[in-house]
Amino acid sequence: MADPASTPLGKMLLEEITPVVMVLCTPYVEESCLKNGLSLIQLLSPFCDFTNIDVPVRTASDQPYRLRKFKLRLFYSSDIRQPNLEVAKERLKKVITHVGEKNFLESSDPSQVNNLLSRPESEMLPSWFQFFNKELVRTLSFSDHEAFDHPVACLLVVSSKDDEPVNRFVDLFNTNKLPSLLNDGAMDPKIMKHYLLLHDNQDGPFNKATKLLADMRNAFGQNDCQIICFNSSQDGKIHHQDNPWAPFKSDALPTENLGGFLNLDDLNEIKDFMQELSSKHIIPYMEQKIRVLNQQVSATRKGFRNQIKNLWWRKGKEDTIDTPNGPVYTFNSIESQIRILGDYAFMLGDYELALSNYRLISTDYKLDKAWKRYAGVQEMMGLTYFLLDQSRKDAEYCMENAFNTYLKLGSAGRRNTTRCGLWWAEMLKTRDQLKEAATVYFRICGEDTLHSAVMLEQASFCYLLSKPPMLHKYGFHLVLSGDHYKKCDQIKHAIRTYRSAIPVYKGTTWSLIKDHVHFHIGQWYALLGMYDVAVTHMLEVLASTHQSKTTQELFLRDFLQIVQKTGKTFEVLKLQLPVINISSLKVIFEDQRTNASAAAARVKESLWRSLEEDIIPSSTARSNWLELQSKIMPRKYKESNICVAGEALKVDIEFKNPLQIPISVSSVSLMCELCANPEEDANSSNNEVQNNEDRTSTSSGDINSCLILSEVDFSLEGGETTVVQLTVTPRIEGILKIVGVKWKLSSAVVGLCNFEFNPVNRVVRGRRKQHSPSSDLKFLVIKSLPRLQGFIHSLPEKTYAGDLRPLVLELSNQSKSPVKNLKMKISNPRFLYAGNQKELNADFPACLKKKMNVEKSGRHANVNKTLQNLYHFPEDISVQEETSLSWPLWFHAAVPGNIPLYITIYYEMEGVSSIMKYRTLRMHYNLQVLPSLDVSFQLSTRPSRSQEFLLRMDVVNKTSSECFQVHQLSSVGQQWEISLLQPVDSILPSQSLFAGQSLSCFFMLKDRRRSSTSEDSIPSLSHIQSDVRLGPQDNSEAFFDVSSSPLADFHDCERSSRGMSSQGCEYKVDFVFITQLLKGNSDSSSNTPLVFSHHACDCSPSSMSPISWLVDGPRTIQHNFSAPPCEVNLKMTITNSSDAIASVHINTFDSPSSNNQLINDATTSQPPEHQSGWSEIPIVNDTKIITTEALTTRVPKSLSLESVPQFIWSGTSSTKLVLQPRSTAEIPLQICVFTPGIYDLSNYILNWNLTPVNDGENQGEANKSSGVCQGYPYYLSVLESNFKD
Amino acid sequence: MIVCVAVVGHQNNPLYIQSFTDADDALKLHHIVHCSLDVVDERVNNPKKSGPTLNETFLGLLYPTENYKVYGYLTNTKVKFILVTTDLDVRDADVRNFFRRFHAAYVDAVSNPFHVPGKKITSRTFADRVSTIVQSFGLSSAV
Repeated sequence: MADPASTPLGKMLLEEITPVVMVLCTPYVEESCLKNGLSLIQLLSPFCDFTNIDVPVRTASDQPYRLRKFKLRLFYSSDIRQPNLEVAKERLKKVITHVGEKNFLESSDPSQVNNLLSRPESEMLPSWFQFFNKELVRTLSFSDHEAFDHPVACLLVVSSKDDEPVNRFVDLFNTNKLPSLLNDGAMDPKIMKHYLLLHDNQDGPFNKATKLLADMRNAFGQNDCQIICFNSSQDGKIHHQDNPWAPFKSDALPTENLGGFLNLDDLNEIKDFMQELSSKHIIPYMEQKIRVLNQQVSATRKGFRNQIKNLWWRKGKEDTIDTPNGPVYTFNSIESQIRILGDYAFMLGDYELALSNYRLISTDYKLDKAWKRYAGVQEMMGLTYFLLDQSRKDAEYCMENAFNTYLKLGSAGRRNTTRCGLWWAEMLKTRDQLKEAATVYFRICGEDTLHSAVMLEQASFCYLLSKPPMLHKYGFHLVLSGDHYKKCDQIKHAIRTYRSAIPVYKGTTWSLIKDHVHFHIGQWYALLGMYDVAVTHMLEVLASTHQSKTTQELFLRDFLQIVQKTGKTFEVLKLQLPVINISSLKVIFEDQRTNASAAAARVKESLWRSLEEDIIPSSTARSNWLELQSKIMPRKYKESNICVAGEALKVDIEFKNPLQIPISVSSVSLMCELCANPEEDANSSNNEVQNNEDRTSTSSGDINSCLILSEVDFSLEGGETTVVQLTVTPRIEGILKIVGVKWKLSSAVVGLCNFEFNPVNRVVRGRRKQHSPSSDLKFLVIKSLPRLQGFIHSLPEKTYAGDLRPLVLELSNQSKSPVKNLKMKISNPRFLYAGNQKELNADFPACLKKKMNVEKSGRHANVNKTLQNLYHFPEDISVQEETSLSWPLWFHAAVPGNIPLYITIYYEMEGVSSIMKYRTLRMHYNLQVLPSLDVSFQLSTRPSRSQEFLLRMDVVNKTSSECFQVHQLSSVGQQWEISLLQPVDSILPSQSLFAGQSLSCFFMLKDRRRSSTSEDSIPSLSHIQSDVRLGPQDNSEAFFDVSSSPLADFHDCERSSRGMSSQGCEYKVDFVFITQLLKGNSDSSSNTPLVFSHHACDCSPSSMSPISWLVDGPRTIQHNFSAPPCEVNLKMTITNSSDAIASVHINTFDSPSSNNQLINDATTSQPPEHQSGWSEIPIVNDTKIITTEALTTRVPKSLSLESVPQFIWSGTSSTKLVLQPRSTAEIPLQICVFTPGIYDLSNYILNWNLTPVNDGENQGEANKSSGVCQGYPYYLSVLESNFKD
Repeated sequence: MIVCVAVVGHQNNPLYIQSFTDADDALKLHHIVHCSLDVVDERVNNPKKSGPTLNETFLGLLYPTENYKVYGYLTNTKVKFILVTTDLDVRDADVRNFFRRFHAAYVDAVSNPFHVPGKKITSRTFADRVSTIVQSFGLSSAV
């Protein structure tokens, strides 16, 4: 370790524990000195500090040593007393306040902990701590239990101007005026005196003074008298370059010229005087005193005998004197003398001697229970140990002992504790035991909050400087210190400490502490009236989600109060309240793509693009167009998004309130820049920057006229999130840039949020290319263009399946130029398709009815159109300027569910803009279609008459309240003839289906192609038979025409949507079932009945096998069984109704079990034919059974009725034959019957296999090219014919 | 009585702090816990003090203040558990036992697949379990 004397503590000790010289002077002396702006002591002080006095000193030992550093402390006699406690406190407070003011102004906070540590130590540690500590120690000077503040000598100064100077000297040392310390016996009043005559050269010649000196020498002795002449300079304008007085006169004004009358000779004279006083008088005097005292102490206390005596004597004394402050010691008591000896030795640097004496006295004091003195001695021992640099442990032990002893004294020793602690802490700091030092500082804290605050701050710096730094504790102690400062109204200090603590907590998640710090800084700044800074700190705590509701309210309220006090509206970048979800940012702009509604804008771009694929000009054409344009426009703008002047850009932003308390947000609007002159802007980027800076001013000024910004107000409940749509409408051409959003919180603070600062993760719709992020929010505003607005009138939001109605599409053109070449594409033609213009005013539903003379024109054209979902408006159709166009649409709710409808309308403008030639209008609707009627059909063949079919229709009303009136059932196409089996009145007398009701009807269906041999002989009247009226029979109302638009078109759509070819194939029938809802209470149109059509496609016989057969033979046979077994001949007629060659294989069985097995296999291998609504249909082979109850009788059941077969198939058990397409063959069969009875001849199966003649023709049958059929029951009664014989 | 328990992540970020006092002294306890992290760091970085017990997780008394005693515990993942108690004579064994149970509760809480490592522990089950452990603190020794 370095020399202890050169450490901060050592320096401090060498400065503070030095001999004191009491100065007594006359008023004239002071007067002369004040000419220089200095008091006598101030004048002399700079020359009392000797860094290299180099005086040989011999104390107790015989060996002399040289003293290097020496200092005298000068005090007026009036100052030699214990300082007034209150005054001292006030003084310290002033010191702190002063420092607070000074540091507050120049404080610059490091923002990072790393910066905090990277600074040099000296910079980190505020210098005023040293100063404060010194002042604090000084408040304890001239205490009666310590001797180092006792004056060693007395300097009497008289001016030559005084009358009778010699008498004045005597008067000065009048005991009445002397400090109480000398009078009350605490110290020896007989001290060394030195007499000085001060001569002011301005007052007169030197001669008089020399005469006076001679008189003095006669009176007081040759050596003790001296003279100083000063103020030699007459004009008082001498300027001292390196002013020696500056440190001693702290309150001097900079303009004051200190020592202006003192020339160099004067200074030298003073310097020499002080040197002489020290080396020739004071030091020798002290040496002598030490020697004398040492002898005395040796005589009375040293040696074994003396020790025993002392011990015994003390023991005896213990019983007698026991005052609370311990015994009183006068200056001539041996204890006081030992202490003086120790202190003198300490001051002269003989630490060994000092230590031995301190040790000696400390035991005495301890025995006497003079605790304060004991502690004082322990303290000195500690310091002596430190300066000797011998035993660290001892030094620390002594200091701790002293500290604790002082502490035990309570309030009396409080300030001594502080001093002791300061020295102790300094000692520890010197030895790099910073943590321990901090603990000591912490322990110093006592009742005096202000001092505690300073101590805590010092402790915090100890933690900061310790290796490794203990930042957590640093922060904590700073905060504690700040609290203490605040308690003493040292707000500036409090702010300073809190601000220093910010870096510790910055970036951590200790939000409770962070909020506390920021909130209090904000509050305190507000107290000081510095609202601007206050607001910045309050902003930090605004969005504190983790705090309780009351705290959040408090934060917000205080924040708003502070803002109000500032008297202006603040603009805050990145205001935390409310939170903006940048990733939710969505910009909706319309270039050539326009949206009819907000819902349309929300649909995915890819969906629209696929829809528009074939109506907008192809991409190759577009690139050509771009190339064409590239000469006119810079590439930059080609890449940027395009929007049209006068059309609003919409921006969706999500705001979230993170707090639990409601907040109100008002005047939410976008911040935009509109550069009217794109070329200029491109050339000079400066222009843009400038724009950025005075954005707020310009937006209110001329920009305002070319931009229309929407403003939104809303309030958010705690934790609420809301999406706000903001719009900006450019009025002129140019470059529009969306910079950010601004809002007003509680109509006090304006929050700004720049979009550009944030990482780009946003969805910008309609981006064609990958742009740089900044250009995403940059738009090229082009000249105003026509923009169609579209709307579909009376499109229901909610309807029942099957609903069929006309709608009107209205397209309006608000601009000054016409648009033409309209095209429309509908995503879902099953639901919606465009009609003819002449249908616009047609009477519904009458227009759907059959008219005899109607021309079936345009039907086929319609088919083509609807297949492509694309509708070309007639070429002569255009929407003129400021007019609107209405166009009929047909709507059919095909299937239940939530159905999105996308409609896009393409149109072209003429000669308006070179950049944009066409635009599209996108419309989006969502339909909710409820299930209404469940219609299912089942078709069965009659093998005997293969052209005839039996149709069963089941209808269930699935609605909860509606009542449908059945109207008609029509088959599509002309080859079918349909007729009711029973009159409808018997099935459904009311002709209406109530909610939940079901209905089954049976119809006969006839294939007209079969029945009539020639195709062309279809009479025109016969096609009426393809419709069956289910409603009132006597009604003359016409049928709905299913073969004309729109029913036919919708039917085609149905077919195509179900993946069926529009070509009707054989044995497949399509049906349209039409009902009406008379009192439509779900819709507004209550007068006109609603028409519902339900379409069923490709109904075919459920077990539509191409092979049908009929077993023919006798039903009843009489046979005499006494004769050989009865043989029965049967004939099987097999018909191949397909277009392929069929090979048929007939197997007969005698055992029913194996038969049963096979039928099961057949069932699994051949799933039932698809038919809507009928899932569980077993294979029905019994063509004989046509009634409902017969249908329930299934083949397996009939098998189970049989017992053991009592017949066998005779002949081959397997027959194979090949059938040509559409041909019939007969094969004979024979059985042998052994006993009479009733036999079921169903135990055979038919395997058939189709070999298609022509591949791909009949796709529907291709997958059914083979099958197994179970034989159907054929009952044969065999009777015994014995009776007849 | 235990006044506060805390879980502090390896970057000295608070993961869970729960005080068990009625008074509104959350801030004070936060400060105390925050402060004691210095001592934890010190203990961890100067292993010579805890030399013989290399894998010792229990850090012992960290920070005796006037009214509180602060105990620490360090898991293998450098997550710190801090216990602040007003009992001035606490047996080490009790504290060790407490931390062992607390550790188990913590492990269960972070094993939740929905827990994001490094984020605050919001599990109510964990909170309930911790308060049970806190309530039973010191009881076992009495019996």
